[in-house]
Parts: sequence; C-alpha cells; structure tokens
Amino acid sequence: MQPTPVILLKEGTDSSQGIPQLVSNINACQVIAEAVRTTLGPRGMDKLMVDARGKATISNDGATILKLLDVVHPAAKTLVDIARSQDAEVGDGTTSVTLLAAEFLRQLKPFVEESLHPQTIIRAFRTATNLAVSKIKEIAVSVKKDDKQEQRQLLEKCAATALNSKLIAGQKEFFSKMVVDAVMSLDELLSLKMIGIKKVQGGALEDSQLVSGVAFKKTFSYAGFEMQPKRYDNPKIALLNVELELKAEKDNAEVRVKSVEACGGSIQTSVGALTEDVLGLCEVFEEVQVGGERYNFFKGCPKAKTCTIILRGGAEQFTEETERSLHDAIMIVRRAIKNDSIVAGGGAIEMELSKYLRDYSRTIPGKQQLLIGAYAKALEIIPRQLCDNAGFDATNILNKLRAKHAQGGMWYGVDINNEDIADNFAAFVWEPSIVRINALTAASEAACLILSVDETIKNPRSGADAPPGRGRGRGRPHAH
Amino acid sequence: MALHIPKAPGFAQMLKDGAKHFSGLEEAVFRNIRACKELSQTTRTAYGPNGMNKMVINHLEKLFVTNDAATILRELEVQHPAAKMIVMASHMQEQEVGDGTNFVLVFAGALLEMAEELLRMGLSVSEVIEGYEQACKKALEILPDCVCSSAKNLHDVNEAASFIRTAVMSKQYGNEDFFANLIAQACVSIFPESGSFNVDNVRVCKIPGCGVTASSVLHGMVFKKEAEGDVTSVKDAKIAVFSCPFDCMVTETKGTVLINNAKELMNFSKGEEDLMESQVKAIKDAGASVVVTGGKVADMALHYANKYKLMVVRLNSKWDLRRLCKTVGAVALPRITAPTPDEMGHCDNVYVAEVGDTQVVVFKHEKEDGAISTVVIRGSTDNLMDDIERAVDDGVNTFKVLVRDKRLVPGGGATEIELAKQITSYGESCPGLEQYSIKKFADAFEALPRALAENSGVKGNELISKLYAAHHEGNKNTGFDIEGEGPAVKDMLKAGILDPYLVKHWGIRMATNAAVTVLRVDQIIMAKPAGGPKTPKQRGHWDKDGWDEEPDHFDTH
Repeated sequence: MQPTPVILLKEGTDSSQGIPQLVSNINACQVIAEAVRTTLGPRGMDKLMVDARGKATISNDGATILKLLDVVHPAAKTLVDIARSQDAEVGDGTTSVTLLAAEFLRQLKPFVEESLHPQTIIRAFRTATNLAVSKIKEIAVSVKKDDKQEQRQLLEKCAATALNSKLIAGQKEFFSKMVVDAVMSLDELLSLKMIGIKKVQGGALEDSQLVSGVAFKKTFSYAGFEMQPKRYDNPKIALLNVELELKAEKDNAEVRVKSVEACGGSIQTSVGALTEDVLGLCEVFEEVQVGGERYNFFKGCPKAKTCTIILRGGAEQFTEETERSLHDAIMIVRRAIKNDSIVAGGGAIEMELSKYLRDYSRTIPGKQQLLIGAYAKALEIIPRQLCDNAGFDATNILNKLRAKHAQGGMWYGVDINNEDIADNFAAFVWEPSIVRINALTAASEAACLILSVDETIKNPRSGADAPPGRGRGRGRPHAH
Repeated sequence: MALHIPKAPGFAQMLKDGAKHFSGLEEAVFRNIRACKELSQTTRTAYGPNGMNKMVINHLEKLFVTNDAATILRELEVQHPAAKMIVMASHMQEQEVGDGTNFVLVFAGALLEMAEELLRMGLSVSEVIEGYEQACKKALEILPDCVCSSAKNLHDVNEAASFIRTAVMSKQYGNEDFFANLIAQACVSIFPESGSFNVDNVRVCKIPGCGVTASSVLHGMVFKKEAEGDVTSVKDAKIAVFSCPFDCMVTETKGTVLINNAKELMNFSKGEEDLMESQVKAIKDAGASVVVTGGKVADMALHYANKYKLMVVRLNSKWDLRRLCKTVGAVALPRITAPTPDEMGHCDNVYVAEVGDTQVVVFKHEKEDGAISTVVIRGSTDNLMDDIERAVDDGVNTFKVLVRDKRLVPGGGATEIELAKQITSYGESCPGLEQYSIKKFADAFEALPRALAENSGVKGNELISKLYAAHHEGNKNTGFDIEGEGPAVKDMLKAGILDPYLVKHWGIRMATNAAVTVLRVDQIIMAKPAGGPKTPKQRGHWDKDGWDEEPDHFDTH
C-alpha cells in the first residue's frame, strides 16, 4: 500500500509560512497604500468608486476609500482597520496613517529579507514610537483655554487645515467658521449626534447655512395647514411621540419632532400631563423654502445644545463628499477642544521627528540603530507624498527641509502654494497633536502586527460548497 | 461492482466498504506521531516572547492574529484523530490553569518525536510508555525542588504585577510591564481578603482607537451602550435593577374590554399611563436614581423616567445584568416594583462617556473594593485588541493559579533544563530497558529552551550546552536571557521571570498523558465519511475534467 499522506487539518485548509509569507503580506499592504497614496494633501486627487450596486462615491478620505474597496487579504485588512480606528479616534488623518504604516513596512522589507528577526524589528519600532510620541508632546504648542478669542482662532485654524485637503478647500474659511460655530454650540459631552447635517441639492456651496437649533424637511401636515401662520415668535413646543389625532387641539405647534435636546423639552409620550417644564422654548419657528424643499426651522432656542448644518451644492456625490469633509473637520475641532496642544502640519512635524530620531539613532549601537534610522526615513513619506501630489520635485524640497530642520527651523514644512518650504506654524497650518500621536501609534502598531505574523492558515468557509482543488486525501483517485 | 471482487482476507473484510484500516508500528504509530509532530511544529514557532504570531482565518472567515496556542488550535479545526488528542490535552491545560497551553503542545510533540527514535531503535511501545510514566512521576517529584520563590502577598499590586509579567510577556512582548501592571491592579482590587478569586470578575471592554498604551483599568463596569433617557450622569447613584423590560406588565391572559363611549376610551389609556407614572414615581420615591433593565424600555416608561430624572440603562445580556448586580450590590427584580433599600445597589459614579467614537456607560466605584473590575483595552485594530484580551486572560489566570498555589519556578527554560539534568541522572540509575526512554524524556525537555532560542534567532545547541554548564555548577535558576545578544544566560529569579508552579506541574502531566495515549494506539479504523457521493464530485474538480463528464463518473463508480 502506498503511504497515505497525513491529513492533519480539514480539507481545503490553506496554509503558508515563513519569510516569503511575511514579504507577501508586506507587498499586499503596499498595494493598499498605493490606492490612497495620491489623495494626500491639498493637491491630492479624489477617487471615484462605484460599488456593487452601481452607487458612485467621490472621496479623498482614506477611510472611506478603504471601506469601499472591500479588502479581503487578511494582512491588508489590518491597514483598513487602522484607518477606521483613526477615523474613530480623531476623525481625520486616515490617509496619513495608512501611508505611514505601508511606508514603515516598505522600509523594513530589506531587513526582513536579510532575515533579521522580526521581534528585534518590533522592539526597535516600539522604542521609536515611544520616542516620537514623547517628542511630539514635548514640542507641541498648547493654547490657553481660558482665552476664548485665542481658542476660537486655534480651532478655526485646525478646521481649515483639515479642510485644506478636501474637495471644499476653496471655501475653507467659510466652512471652518461654520464648523467651529457648530461645535461651540454643543454641551461639554460634544456629542457628534447633536450636529445634524442636511443636504439639499441645488444652490452654491456658500448658500450652506448653520442653524442654531433644528431644521428638518417638512414631512407632514394637516389639512388646513395653509391657514396656519408660517412663523411663530417665542412659541412653546410640545414634543410628541404619538399621533396627534384624537387627543389634539391642546397644542400650539403642530409638528412631530424627535430632536429633543434642541429646545430643552422632553419627548412626551402622553398628552395627559403637560407641565410647564416639559415644554420647550425657542425664539422663532418658521417654515422656509430651501431649494426645492420646504423646511421647518426652530431657531434661537435658549437651552440649545444642538445645531444643524444645511449643505447646498450641485451633484449628490459632491454634497456627500462635503458632508464627509465637514465630519472630519468637526471631529478635528472636537479633539482640539479636548486637547489644546497643536503642531504644525504640512509635513513639518514629521520632518522634525525624523530628524530627532535620526540623531537619536546615531547614539545607540547595534541593529537598533539601523531600524530606528529606517523609522526616521519612513516618516519622510508624508512631506514627500505632499510634494509628489502637488507635482513638485520632492527630492529637492526634502533636501531643503532637512537642511532647515538641522538648522533648528522646527516648524518648516512644505509650502504648497509657492512650491517651496515655509514655517507652517507661522502660516497657520495647524493640527491637533493628538492626530499625529494617534497616527504614529496606530501605524506602528499595525506594522508590528503584520511583522509578527509568520504563518497564515485559512480554513475553508463553512456552509458554502466545498472549495475547489487541494482535496488532498479524498481527491486521490480511488483504488478500486 | 466492488462487491464481486474477492477481498484480501483479514480485518478489512469485516468492515463496510470504504472504511480505512491501519495497524502496526509503521502504519499507525508512526503516522500518528508524524501528525502530532506537524501540529507541534506549527505552534512551536509561537512559543515564548519572541514567538511569531499566526494569522488564522476560521471557517466563518474571521481573522485571528495571535500566538496563543489554545486559540490557534481552536480555530484550526484539527481533524487528525491522534493530533486531536494533543489538542485536547492543551484544552485541559487551559481549563485547569489557563496558561501554558503551548508548553503542553511543544512538550508532547517533543516526547513523541523522541518516542519515534526509540521505537525505531527497537524498543517496544510498552517499554517506552513505562519509561515515560516513570520519568513523569520523577519529574513531578523533582519539580517542588525547583521552586525558587513564592508569592508572599498577593494584595500587593507590585508583587502581583511581577508574577503576571512573565505570562503577559509571551503574548505582548514589549508592553509586558504596562499590561502586567493593569492586570495586577484589576486582579488585586477584586481579590477579597477571604482568598477566593473568580476569573470572571475581571471584565474586558475593547474599544477601537488610540494606542495600546491608552488602555486603562477601572473599578466597576463598562458597557458599550448609551443611556436611554435624558439623564447621562449620576453621582452617588442608587441603582434599581430589573431583569424584565421596563414597561407596564402585560397580562398573561387575553382580556376583552368593552368601551361604550369616548370618555371611557380616553380613561382606558389614561389609566395605563397613570399606572406607569405611579410605578416610576414609586421607584423614584424609593430613592433610586438609576434604573437598569434587562429588556426593552417602553416609550411611555422612558417618558416618566425622564420626568422624574431617572437615568435608564438597558443591558441586553443576562450575564451582564448579573455581573452588574454583583458590582453594585443590587438584587435584580423580576417585575417593575419599587425596590426596597436592600434591593438597590450603590455606585459612586454612573455616567456616559465617549471613548474614541464609542459611547459607553460607566459604573465606577471610587474606592478599590468593588466586586468587579474592568480592563478597557484600546488598540488600533480589532485583531490587536483580541490578542491583548487573550493576554489579559492569561494574566488573570496566572493570578488565579497563584491564589491556589503560591509557589513559583524559574522561567526561561531554567526549570526544564534542571529537570532534564536530574532525570538523566535518574535514568542512568535504572537497570531496565526503560532507561533509554527515561533519558529521552529528559531530552524532550530541551525542546522548550530550544524553541525559545530558535524563535529568537539563536542557535539552540549553543544555548542548551551553556545552560547545562551553568546548571551543573549548581545555578539552578539559570535560564535563557532573551534580551541578550546571542545565546546569553542569566539568573531568572533575579530577572523576575517566574512561572507558577502549577502551570508547569499540569503542563508536564497533560503532555505526558497525551503522548502516552497517542503511543498506545496501534490500530486506526476510519469509517467511510458519511455524506453520499461527495467523492466523485471532488474528483471532477481535482482532475479538472469538464463538468459534462461528471455523470459518467457517477455511473461507472
């Protein structure tokens, strides 16, 4: 009898192992990064994606793109995960985090191929990340919270920097003001849900407006509503969760609202017990034509902790992308309120960290020196990509930047407008330091995770029909 | 067709068509050994701090990135019957002590590898087994002598952290100090003076975002939920817990109500409203400020809860509800009634917080004597957080084991080498043929420091000779220095790398049992897998034949 091969695992199980496996994981991550590479920065390009149902999305938000790509490669999925995590934690910088992670891996590939032990690399990277994070904390500039004026200015700058790289960069002043106003009107929890964004097609971007209160499309009206006045001053509002059919006629505003916090009222399920304190107040209630829709507005609520942004714009995809951009900016402003320290963007902070780590690496012996050097080199990807996307000579600009940073120009970064370098701190290209800290930690955690894997074992999917091929045992031709 | 062919006389004749039958050394024993070896090769590279992770995609297409042997094996779905026995041993180890699963696998694999050599040398299976059993007994006798330290005060966070560190190190190398500290805090705070420790009381809550170093521990519980009503924060809260939905009672039997006029109709629903209001009011009057419910929250009930400024939290899991009861000291009420003061729980701070972009409800105790503590894990990817959760699990289990038995043995391969040394000399004093197998048993111990070394890119042989040299000089605690360059050794006791005694004790026992059981098998009989004419279908695939040919295959078969 011929020796039967030993079947250890379930039929159809696929496993691959060793350094080639590691390298192939790294390559997969490069591919993912390629997809978002060109979207970085003010001169980044947008991507148009059409999903399975034929829905088109235009975006340059890293997280959105990666989500739509529907990645199945297990290692590359990690990159999607960190983009999502960055989105969750700070809301912006999703492209940077993906790029950084991929660049870390790219710099490490030669070391892996020379069979340096991955754990050594991981240790070096953890050290480098810790150093980089503490360096950011050290050099970040904090803005006094007590000074409302100054804080507001800081917030607007941060919002403007975030919007810089988006589709609506042209209107960044307009929108950064709006975003800051919106966030400032919230309570201390800064709940994102309390900012509503409504999209109405038509009109120009500048026609967008911020309503301190609630606005919604008029959905429903009673017969005879034409008789009702279109505007109430200082109404009291009963917020009802029930049909106003049988029990009607006690109330003064005939609307059903779910946004309770707006007016400081509470949702009432019963009309039985209407007391003064459950009724909401606002200054003006009116019905207004916005584009092709009738909108109801509640404005100037005294207890208001909410606001609504009404976006106007041409195509549907355009308003959707605007909404995503505003979401990023809002998140950035919220983070900036919670952590009031900032750094300069435009590659400045990355260059400074790169210089710091390179200097540090020269003081230590052994393999760690090379690895931390690689980390420092990888950080340069951000300014480099900014230049590439803008069509500048990246090598030239990077040389200038390195020279400047070596001379102590801590905040020098890429000047997109003049194809040169500039003090980005003075140019008000500001970002909350937490964005960078999170990006660095997430990117290096992802790189370490991918490096630490030396074997992939894939079980066949259960339920579905048996996978083709590789039927080792049973696939053998029968003896009889 | 097959029926007409006369079969070779023997065992196969008695079986149904298609069954497989293997017997004897060559066919059964060596095959089994080979399968187990293959399995332990897979997990061997995951052993120790420098072990590599495995990416396992299970049959539901969920991705795991881990070096926890128990998880790898669970998701692998090992099919080979002999290899399954080793997997079972590893599971038993997990249930018994919660850590050291990889130890069992690697050691059992090494034992079987050695057994193969012995069998090829000409020893009989029973001699090998006898030798292994004797050696195992001896090893367990020697093990208490290896104890180098014991936990004095498990209520001391620093001391506990130093013991947990080793277990965490093998999962999260580089972050071990940070996590060991977190786990120690979590464990110590819920470790009562009476000395009974329940692993279940350390909860884990994973929230994506930020970095692993942003993880924290708090006394009390964290739920990924939002408050239902308007009240989002209560200090010094009195908590009423209901296991039923927060709604008015639904009658068991159906009833019919006859309504004669409009007034009665209005009063009908009004009566219901009034009842609800009085119930909520009663709860409020009893002093409660937070209501936790296990079921749905009715709109009406929520309305009154808002009116009376009650915070309402809804938990879906029955277990979560029970744990919360334990944390705050409440009694879960099966129906909506006003709780007595005894039935209400107390918590210093109940609030909704935003972590990352996840809303969580936090029940927090200010002082450190809550019944439950929660480790909030942050991390950039889900896989990473899952892996940290497993590290926390191992750490907590280590603490539990230490509560049971305070003794500690040196880690980093020191114990194994010491055992190997002593068992070798014991083997030499044995007269019979089992001498060989006892010595091989000792050799099998070398597999562990060897795996540690090879995973760190160090030559195994160099390290082992160094370790033996040190142990012969009487330095019982010398083990592999993972941070050193090349095959460096150092004193594990001084370095604080210690394993609980019980982990090693059970590990050796389980591994030996599993190895012996695998060796005892000399016949394998596999029934034909059920499932009808699957084979030809597969064959069609495998041969890359056209699908049209398929029916022919069926007919001729």
